[in-house]
Amino acid sequence: MKADVLIVGGGIQGCATAYYLSKQGVSVIVLEKDYSGRHASGVNAGGVRLLGRDMAEVPLSKASMEMWQTLDDELGEDTGFRNQSLINIAVDEADITALHERQVKMHALGYTHERIIDQSELMQRLPHVNPDCVGGVLSELDGYAIPYKATAAFRRAAERNGAQIVEGEEALGLRRVGNVWLAQGTGHRFEAETVVNCGGAWADRIALMIGDNVPLSHAAPMLMITARVPKFAAPVVGAVSRQLSFKQFENGTALIGGGAKGFADRANNRTRLDYAKLASAARTTAEFFPIMRRASINRMWAGLEAYMPDNLPVIGPAANAARAFHAFGFSAHGFQMGPVVGQVMAELVTGGTTRFDLSAFRIDRFDRKVL
Amino acid sequence: MSAFDCAIVGAGPAGMSAAIAMAEAGVRVVVLDRASRAGGQIYRSAAASPLPDVAALGADYTVGADLIAAYERADVTHFANADVWHLGEDGRILFSQDGESRELHCREMLLCPGAMERPMPIHGWTLPGVMTAGAAQVMLKSDAVVAEGAVFAGSGPLLYLIVAQYLRLGVSVKALIDTTPRQNYVDAVPLMPRALRQVAMLRKGLSLLREIRASGLPVYRFAEDLAVLGSDKAQGLCFATKGKQRKIHADTVFLHHGVQPNLNMTRAMGLAHHWNPDQMCWQVTVDVFGQSSVPHVSVAGDGAGIIGADGARTAGRLAAFNILHRLGKLSLTDRDRQAREDLSGIKEQIPFRRFIDRLYRPTDALRLPQEPTTLVCRCEEQTMDDLRAGFEQGARDPNALKSLTRCGMGPCQGRQCGHVVSGLLAQWRGTDPEEVGYYRLRSPLRLLSLDELSQYKPVILEAAE
Repeated sequence: MKADVLIVGGGIQGCATAYYLSKQGVSVIVLEKDYSGRHASGVNAGGVRLLGRDMAEVPLSKASMEMWQTLDDELGEDTGFRNQSLINIAVDEADITALHERQVKMHALGYTHERIIDQSELMQRLPHVNPDCVGGVLSELDGYAIPYKATAAFRRAAERNGAQIVEGEEALGLRRVGNVWLAQGTGHRFEAETVVNCGGAWADRIALMIGDNVPLSHAAPMLMITARVPKFAAPVVGAVSRQLSFKQFENGTALIGGGAKGFADRANNRTRLDYAKLASAARTTAEFFPIMRRASINRMWAGLEAYMPDNLPVIGPAANAARAFHAFGFSAHGFQMGPVVGQVMAELVTGGTTRFDLSAFRIDRFDRKVL
Repeated sequence: MSAFDCAIVGAGPAGMSAAIAMAEAGVRVVVLDRASRAGGQIYRSAAASPLPDVAALGADYTVGADLIAAYERADVTHFANADVWHLGEDGRILFSQDGESRELHCREMLLCPGAMERPMPIHGWTLPGVMTAGAAQVMLKSDAVVAEGAVFAGSGPLLYLIVAQYLRLGVSVKALIDTTPRQNYVDAVPLMPRALRQVAMLRKGLSLLREIRASGLPVYRFAEDLAVLGSDKAQGLCFATKGKQRKIHADTVFLHHGVQPNLNMTRAMGLAHHWNPDQMCWQVTVDVFGQSSVPHVSVAGDGAGIIGADGARTAGRLAAFNILHRLGKLSLTDRDRQAREDLSGIKEQIPFRRFIDRLYRPTDALRLPQEPTTLVCRCEEQTMDDLRAGFEQGARDPNALKSLTRCGMGPCQGRQCGHVVSGLLAQWRGTDPEEVGYYRLRSPLRLLSLDELSQYKPVILEAAE
């Protein structure tokens, strides 16, 4: 099979890249070893969050947030996006101080999308929050989407533009011969001028085939969701200094995250849960929202996610090969960036440049200069 | 601190007989059972029936009381009302008891999850007033509650049994609508001669049918095109038989067309499974001793493939012999010597089982929904049409379909609709369920309150030395 661009990985980054490339008439094949959205892109918490981003990520994340507001129209699909705002709760004066310090830095760079709120505004926006909480920080543009739906939306829109998504096909080998990339899959062989690595938790293996070493690790962030409960919280909720992540969907189910990790068995494509840590996440949630105590947990799971040592993704050209690009290692906050990353990758593939400064995301940023 | 040698989950015929055999050999056995008293579904309340005349339920039921008595005399740690919500491959079991989360460790694990009724997604099957024949049995056995003037529809031994039990107790029954197709009789006939070796079993079944016929109860055979009448509650059943449309009015409709292994535990543990084309269901892959793809996890009884209560008792014993061998209490030679009789007993049952499986083989028309508006997932109210739309959008795998449509994401977590979804996808893809696969089941195995989870502590229950 032949195409202009071969994308390895059918998650949100791969599907979004396929969409923006195919929109310009570029022919695209996406190789997906399981099914599209099987791992982190399909089973994450669905947070669409600009709040609290690393400074290096803010320009990309801001641009992506603008895109989310009209993404359903752009794709002609339902991503489940709801603009419900996001609040990080402050529990004490130390939290408030930390928020003010961040605000000074943000304002210096001209970023004004985060707004500190006081206790009364917090109580008004989250009437069921523990009254001991002292305030927080808010981003109005934020919200959530349905991860699998959003990934599938990009996938279908790309397919309508002619992109081919090949599921159940793993890239076993990649080599550059003359001006083309040859890929050996489990069932087919592929040929393309350009290759894009969106391999998620497996991206280090693809990078190696391309010729780039990268200190990627993987982990299994855990989530749990309750059966439906009466509506009590509209905004997505986090905490400034605690492991809390919480959102109630339109259907009443409430999703609890917080970043606790289970056990990632990448070789066998599966995860195991750490129940002691889930119990701790349940305690934290009940502490912030006592109303949740009686809610029933319906499902607990973990997904395989890729992490970089500095928790920043790799976005940009390969260091050691021509016509190869990377977008992976989003370290549990890549879902929101999907739209803009797709656009940036399309820009890089077709024109070689992008309007964003990607220097913080270089693949070789951890290369040791000396022993 | 010490762990248990073996933990058995489920105290039905398989679990009880395994526990007895292992306790006799002196190993430390713990049994976790959801009910307040051992017995499982088949012998539910058999040790303490609320019925004035328990003989009406039949000798197959009362024999359960003897097994329960033997089990309760055995040196076994029994946790009643213990709801297991996590089974770890590492031998860690998390369960709820009296509103508390508890944990125990074991070297060997024996799962005896039993059977569940195959869903019968005909038009109107989710209306109030429609129940399964199994539910009728539970009400009868645990609470001595019956539904007067009900109509029973479907096929299979359990259906005839509950109808006969109702009749013996003098409960009025409106009609029995038998959906066993004519073709099933034709196909089963060649298997009959070999099945005749189990003449006692055959006679039992035939006498049940004779008893029903002799009672004068209207029996409609070869019924097709079943639909529940009513819009907000069941008002009866309409069907076609011998070329005629019929309607029978009733407030309660009991449906049944066979049982299938309860996959909740075996699937959640990620054990290997395969599609059984004779019984039209998934089952866990085990050897003759019930040992699964994870060597220290065994499965016995109907939960490993439908074999009935007597077969389950034998299978439980066989699993016990193998586990005793694995624990170093029985040499391989002794295991095989002790198992010989049970192994040949199980083998003798095969022709009869084949005959029964063929005779009561579920038809696609009852196994899979026939109308676009029929609900498949009751929890999330997803119709066959909704699933078809998801399939058209590219979700070809049960898990992808779940992510897209929420089918199987409600409180039952797909435990009810799993077989139907696999079956529909297989039909639409023009392949067999083996190719399509099944839901990945997630913890917890049952709903767990946030409060209960947050109080979870890794307290190890010590086995009595």
